Amino acid sequence: MPVVSLVLGFLSAAPLFLAVGVNPILAYRQVLGVFVNVDGLTESFTRAIPLLLASIGLCLPFKMNFWNIGAEGQLFMGAFAATAIVFMLPDSSAFVLLGSMMIAGFIFGGIWGLIPAYLKARLETNEVLTTLMLNFVAILWVDYLVYGPWRDPEGFGFPLTPMFPLNARLPWIPGTRIHAGLIVGLVCAVLVYIFLARTRWGYELKVTGESRLAAKYAGIDYLKLTLLVMFIGGGLAGLAGMGLVSGIVLRLRHGISPGYGFSAIIIAWLARLNPLAAVPVSILFGGLLVAGDALQIGLGLAFATTSVFQALILLFVVGAEVLTRYKVALTWE
Amino acid sequence: MKGIVKRFPGVDANDHVDFELQAGEAHGLLGENGAGKTTLMNVLYGILRPDEGEIYIRGEKVDIGSPREALNLGIGMVHQHFKLVEPHTVLENILLGLKEPAFILNVKDAANKVLEISKRYELPIDPEARIWQLSMGERQRVEILKALYRGAKILVLDEPTSVLTPPETRELFRFIAQMAREGRSVVFITHKLDEVMAVSDRVTVLRAGRNVDTLDREQLEKTKLASMMVGREVLFTLSKSPVVPGEPVLQLNQVTVMGDKGFPAVKNLTLAIRKGEILGVAGIAGNGQRELTEAIAGMRPILSGQVRLSGKEIHRESISRRIEDGIAYVPEDRVGVAAPQGLTVAQDLILRRYRQKPFSNGVFLNQNEIDNNAETLIKEFKIMVSGKDAPARTLSGGNLQKLILARELSGKPRLIVAVYPTRGLDVGATEYIRSLLLKQREARSAVLMVSEDLDEILSLSDRIAVMYGGEIVGTFPASEANVEEIGLMMGGSLRKT
Repeated sequence: MPVVSLVLGFLSAAPLFLAVGVNPILAYRQVLGVFVNVDGLTESFTRAIPLLLASIGLCLPFKMNFWNIGAEGQLFMGAFAATAIVFMLPDSSAFVLLGSMMIAGFIFGGIWGLIPAYLKARLETNEVLTTLMLNFVAILWVDYLVYGPWRDPEGFGFPLTPMFPLNARLPWIPGTRIHAGLIVGLVCAVLVYIFLARTRWGYELKVTGESRLAAKYAGIDYLKLTLLVMFIGGGLAGLAGMGLVSGIVLRLRHGISPGYGFSAIIIAWLARLNPLAAVPVSILFGGLLVAGDALQIGLGLAFATTSVFQALILLFVVGAEVLTRYKVALTWE
Repeated sequence: MKGIVKRFPGVDANDHVDFELQAGEAHGLLGENGAGKTTLMNVLYGILRPDEGEIYIRGEKVDIGSPREALNLGIGMVHQHFKLVEPHTVLENILLGLKEPAFILNVKDAANKVLEISKRYELPIDPEARIWQLSMGERQRVEILKALYRGAKILVLDEPTSVLTPPETRELFRFIAQMAREGRSVVFITHKLDEVMAVSDRVTVLRAGRNVDTLDREQLEKTKLASMMVGREVLFTLSKSPVVPGEPVLQLNQVTVMGDKGFPAVKNLTLAIRKGEILGVAGIAGNGQRELTEAIAGMRPILSGQVRLSGKEIHRESISRRIEDGIAYVPEDRVGVAAPQGLTVAQDLILRRYRQKPFSNGVFLNQNEIDNNAETLIKEFKIMVSGKDAPARTLSGGNLQKLILARELSGKPRLIVAVYPTRGLDVGATEYIRSLLLKQREARSAVLMVSEDLDEILSLSDRIAVMYGGEIVGTFPASEANVEEIGLMMGGSLRKT
């Protein structure tokens, strides 16, 4: 089924490529090339890291029907906190510095998750709205810093902070951009899986997702559970932000994430809220992002064109996912 | 209807069922839940297509493909769950789906016709009232009028009394008799023996999708019908051993509880239940029983007063503390609250106990203990299920209630709060659930049972309290109970406190 939907997605993009004057066959070759050459693959893994962390963070609240649309903002707050640590402790050892950056990134992402959690559990505010709005607060807060007080005086006026010292850089595989965040992501995926499948909180999430009244009847404290889950979930998105500044960009800048926190929503759903399934889905999704770059560089396509292409592929994959839940039967009366 | 077969995945809902309905008779269709009564009538009404079998109406073979075709043949059906548009008026609901006025609807004529029918059958209704404003009994009247408006000569009523108060039930029976006198026919689906005895000219009994027999009025006998229905002998008088009540377990003092609509639903209520005692709370639904039980279980805060469990004040305690204190709670809503449908049977069997040892050590759940618990309880409480990992949604109503009681009673509760414990259950399951409650009484638990079924209240309770308008309008020992008096109290026209 996924193969069929991918093929259909590709075919539906043919008119798009023709319209911008590119032979679709060439375009397909570019895209598939991403998954067969080493550079393409390693770059897919690199892109998968923030996607993976943010999406496993979303598996938790989604299990209890708490619709967190705020992973992007939680990611930005994590990136902000990690950067602040670099400025506060520039001379400490790499171990201390990276450790503190991770903890700070997790905590600030987590706090950004706690706010809508508290509002929902106490005042029944709609979490879709609050988490969505808090994205803009976080993104604009980072913009304020990089356009203002944290701007690199030698950066020719670009909205970015000075480069981090080397001890603030996560270990990486030489020759690639894959960094230690991948290991963090895989470990977190396993931990979250165990959390969901084996602990009492995993059970509480399942019951609450079934029915809030049933959860109340079972004696589950909705406030405590929501706060716990959104702190961990937001924290994981915060870790993704930390990984971006410390593993890839090595500074904080405007638009540090091109929307990983939003893509993570789709990934979490395609993985059916299973953190282990989120690993391959994130890598494929990363590959799709790389394919967009490849089309731009290799065939000179515009960013808008590749975005449409990615969207078409996703549309078919998500649409087919819905269909896999039903049996399709053709009958004649 | 001849040799009707309808198969669903895994079950034969109807297995070569024959059913004959004469003009001018009230025909009871009796059977336990899942016996195939509703399936058979859905076939007649064109909602389901039979896999085999033939239907003849007035001697002519017919093929009924949809409810519209059924209506054209003069067949009307009132479902157990009403199919009305709640924000719309009675008249709009009755006219909905009619093809008759092609363009212009003459509302006045239609209203007059509805009023005429309603007058003829003494089914008073305000055509302009909106459905959501009506009681369940009035909504049923709308459904009946809808069928009559379409000219139904055969009327199928699916479990019509499950939503009615005793006086409304009497009214319905009068109406059924009138229909039969006029030469129309009524099929009356039920699993309640007394009702079927009261109205039927003939009774057809189904069991597990098959015909057992069709009996004439003279042959009707309660114990016979019951054993035909269940397939074995049924005890109607539950043996109730004498238990001397001990010290009070639950004490409510001047308790006021807010209802959902912003008015107090329970007003200054005081009551006590002792060890080894069943207190039956009688009353028509909506007189504060639900709010009262929710307040005791902790699902709803109290506005004023005190709730004590064995002398300790508990009304500020969380629900989980009250569970630990030994309050078992069987709520009204089984599928949405008491046994979430998407969980497995094993998961539902630890719903209110998952925090406790041995199921959890505070962090991790012990899957072995959860599985053992499920297997033990399934066996002990005779829950019919394909396995402990089957989703709860595959359980029938009776088995779901057994599951809930199995869980709630396995914690050796001090107090059991049971709301409508046997509502909608068949004879076999009802008998079993009642015996469980009596066993708890012998184990010296205190039981608070809310029920609309007066027989149930009378046969199980040691003391009876009648609720009306959020207050207790009378309490007396069950031995001194007088059904007429209870009826008057339930209707609010008598007080004895």
